[in-house]
Amino acid sequence: MTDLSQYLPILIFLGIAVGLSALFVFLPMGVSRLTGTHNPDAAKLSEYECGFPAFEDSRSQFDVRFYLVAILFIIFDLEAAFLFPWAVSLQDIGWAGWTTMMVFLAELALGLVYAWKKGALDWE
Amino acid sequence: MNHDMSASLLLVAPELTLTLAGLALLIWAAFFGDRHATGISIAAVAALVGAGALTSLAPAAGGNAFDGLARVDAFSTFAHVLIYFAAAVAIIIAPRFFRAHTPGGHGLMRAEYPILIVFAAVGMGMMVSATDLMTLYVGLEMNSLAAYVLASFIRTDTRSAEAGLKYFVLGALASGILLYGMSLLYGFSGTTNFAGIAAAMGADFSGGLVFGLVFVLAGLAFKISAVPFHMWTPDVYEGAPTPVTAFFASAPKVAAMALTVRVCIEAFGPTTLDWQQIIIFLALASTILGAVGAIGQRNIKRLLAYSSINNVGFALIGLAAGSEAGVAATMSYMAVYVVMTLGSFLCILQLRDAGGAYVEDIARMAGLGKARPWLVGAIALFMFSLAGIPPLFGFWPKFLVFDAAVRAGLLPLAIIGALSSVISAFYYLKVIKTMAFDEAPADAPQWTAEGNAVETGLIGFTATAISPLGYLAIAPLAYLSGNAALALFR
Repeated sequence: MTDLSQYLPILIFLGIAVGLSALFVFLPMGVSRLTGTHNPDAAKLSEYECGFPAFEDSRSQFDVRFYLVAILFIIFDLEAAFLFPWAVSLQDIGWAGWTTMMVFLAELALGLVYAWKKGALDWE
Repeated sequence: MNHDMSASLLLVAPELTLTLAGLALLIWAAFFGDRHATGISIAAVAALVGAGALTSLAPAAGGNAFDGLARVDAFSTFAHVLIYFAAAVAIIIAPRFFRAHTPGGHGLMRAEYPILIVFAAVGMGMMVSATDLMTLYVGLEMNSLAAYVLASFIRTDTRSAEAGLKYFVLGALASGILLYGMSLLYGFSGTTNFAGIAAAMGADFSGGLVFGLVFVLAGLAFKISAVPFHMWTPDVYEGAPTPVTAFFASAPKVAAMALTVRVCIEAFGPTTLDWQQIIIFLALASTILGAVGAIGQRNIKRLLAYSSINNVGFALIGLAAGSEAGVAATMSYMAVYVVMTLGSFLCILQLRDAGGAYVEDIARMAGLGKARPWLVGAIALFMFSLAGIPPLFGFWPKFLVFDAAVRAGLLPLAIIGALSSVISAFYYLKVIKTMAFDEAPADAPQWTAEGNAVETGLIGFTATAISPLGYLAIAPLAYLSGNAALALFR
């Protein structure tokens, strides 16, 4: 039988997390009712979902340009994700690691040049 | 350290050349656009030829690159040469197709096409020399990502877009399955290195490793389109532009097959009896379904898709033997298969009516024999060769894989394989019969005889290679594939 007492820290963590998040949800609700700012309308009651109406056919059309921007964002987001572990371990990986990352960045830059030249960055 | 690095870089010189060439061509394409498509295509073919020449730098004894992430040996060199050849052919046949292909398209050769093929070739080069799950996956994805774009290359054509989407969704699923298997292998063996996995499997082949092996093989079976993971093949082959289909049917098949062989022999070596069962099933199912499924097809590209499934099954029979001779037979099979398939697709690319539209419907090809006797002769040659009918060279690799299977004690497998090749002969013969002997229907296309010297030359070359003259190549082919197999069993 495993010793359940070793899971005590996570139990405490979960308790505090649930308590705090409940506080964050219900405290503003209570305060607004008590202070008289409770004044709901249709826009306030709708759920927030990235700017799109939430209960609509998910196959609705949207501008393909959003897609391009999203793709370019993902690429550079991932680049940043690679850079952090590289930066903290640079002492250990030495010049080989430094050169590799520079090659990677140069390749990304060439890709950006291509996308730029192709007009992927122009909204109009 | 520095010495190691430069030695490693020298070993992967073909991939380095192609990467640098691909990047340079990308910038060229960005600044000068589709007007320079011809120049970029020529440069891409030159880069592939150069990379092929650089494979001769590989040391005869083989060498490990990047601390065992990749291995360059006779096996990888053999596959490299095949891949670069097929990729170069796929670039050469493209401009005429894209310029002529008007339905919903732009009638324009895009400069990105040769660049995507070059990047796919880099990925495939990595696949066949991978000796680590990481290199394996990165190579596979590099090839696949370029392939997804290539499948939907005529984006205004709904069939092409559909092919790209199907390929992408199912390919992503297969990559997921493969990754899951790889994570199990890593979790239960503690290493991503093939030799390390083999050592762990030899010590204790337990639950997690079994599932890892099964999932990895399922993912790889998808990439070589072996039954039951073949369902994407007919749709993608039909929808993708014909030069891209020719590419899919040749280079990535060789790369994925070589990768499967290397994984089975090097990483799963100590458990041959276990993976053998799976490969035998894949081989049987592929040969039978590839043969039966093609019978009802009306579109020549779909028919060739089933033909490629069928042929992958035969190549897997060699691997199923699990012996050095079997691996050599599989590699010989892939070499001859690439030549036969490229030849068939080259012939299909000549099937245009007076309006310049490509004809893919087999029924409409009736009466072609009177209009284009030489072309039908060439198609007949390729079809007979794909069916494995003896005077043609397509018979030889089939004989080699059956021979290896029988020697490994897999007599029933060889017999069923031979029987299914009889079934497949039926639909190959049906195509020839329709073209050569049937009366032309009333709405038969007005065939244009307009040709292209390069494509005619390539048809002539591939047809000669698979004709009985090809038997002259048996000795060098046996030597090269034997060396390739020896490199795995070193």
